Amino acid sequence: MKINVMQDVLQANDRIAADNKQLFQKNRNLVLNLMSSPGAGKTSLLEKTAERLAGKLRLGVVVGDIETTRDADRLSKFNIPAIQLTTGTACHLDANMVASALPHLQLDKIDILVVENVGNLVCPAEFVIGEDYKIMILSVTEGDEKPLKYPLMFHESALLLINKIDLVQYTNFNLEEAKANARRINPDIDIIEISCTGGTGLDEWIVWLTAHYQKKLGDLTHA
Amino acid sequence: MHEMGIAQNILDIALNAANQEGATKITRIDLIAGELRGLVPMQLSFCFSIVAKDTIASGAYLNIEEVPVTGHCNACNSDFPVEEYQYLCPKCASTKIQVTGGTELRLKDIEIE
Repeated sequence: MKINVMQDVLQANDRIAADNKQLFQKNRNLVLNLMSSPGAGKTSLLEKTAERLAGKLRLGVVVGDIETTRDADRLSKFNIPAIQLTTGTACHLDANMVASALPHLQLDKIDILVVENVGNLVCPAEFVIGEDYKIMILSVTEGDEKPLKYPLMFHESALLLINKIDLVQYTNFNLEEAKANARRINPDIDIIEISCTGGTGLDEWIVWLTAHYQKKLGDLTHA
Repeated sequence: MHEMGIAQNILDIALNAANQEGATKITRIDLIAGELRGLVPMQLSFCFSIVAKDTIASGAYLNIEEVPVTGHCNACNSDFPVEEYQYLCPKCASTKIQVTGGTELRLKDIEIE
């Protein structure tokens, strides 16, 4: 006997993500889902961001890793609330894992919450967690063809940060090609070249961040 | 390996639907999977066979219907298949493209005994 089901496979996740989103709206948080390969510079970016936002906007971080609390340890030095989720074997964070971290944060004392996803260019793009925007880092040592190899993540991201730009001269990474490849997949994607060690582009990143935070507040007021 | 988590979700939905009908066995599951989901059918079937073990869905055939990516041009209103993830209108070269297909991930129906 055939039974018609017609259910979205990820509806359980989507429902929890919607609950997370409601909680974030109530607390007026801008929430970013930060994704990249392992070693592209997610935690370094957050360290630099914490430095530059200090005294201006309050940053909070949820960080996902398969094992260890090293990333949260790195971030706690900056006096920002950082909750570590160890995912065990899971290669991505889902809405439920993020929901489990939220009671440990004082969301009403956070302006911008960044969820640092597990380093992986495939799986994290599949699962919404209640974020306003997905953003991603591609570092120049990874190769300019990555947008074509991992289209979903580039398609879903509002912002692409090209990191380690100070190393580009030592690699065969073609910057224009990388940008063209990303825009072929996602014509609307914003792109900023940065160097977390050298400081290039970080001001522009903070401007992007602040503008999107203001936009979120504006949207909440008009909602 | 997001296939494992997705396989578990498919199993949960199928078991739930089968239980409501009082079924003793699930023999087939029909899934609609958009190309943008980046699922590897062979891997998904393998993961499903593992999570379904020792349930009434053990041994069920997982049929995966893949849906290609399609787009709608907001500039000239044409609909077209999106080749190689190039979001460019083949008629008017606009990049104002709305994705109309290829992101689905839906459990369509199940066959039970």
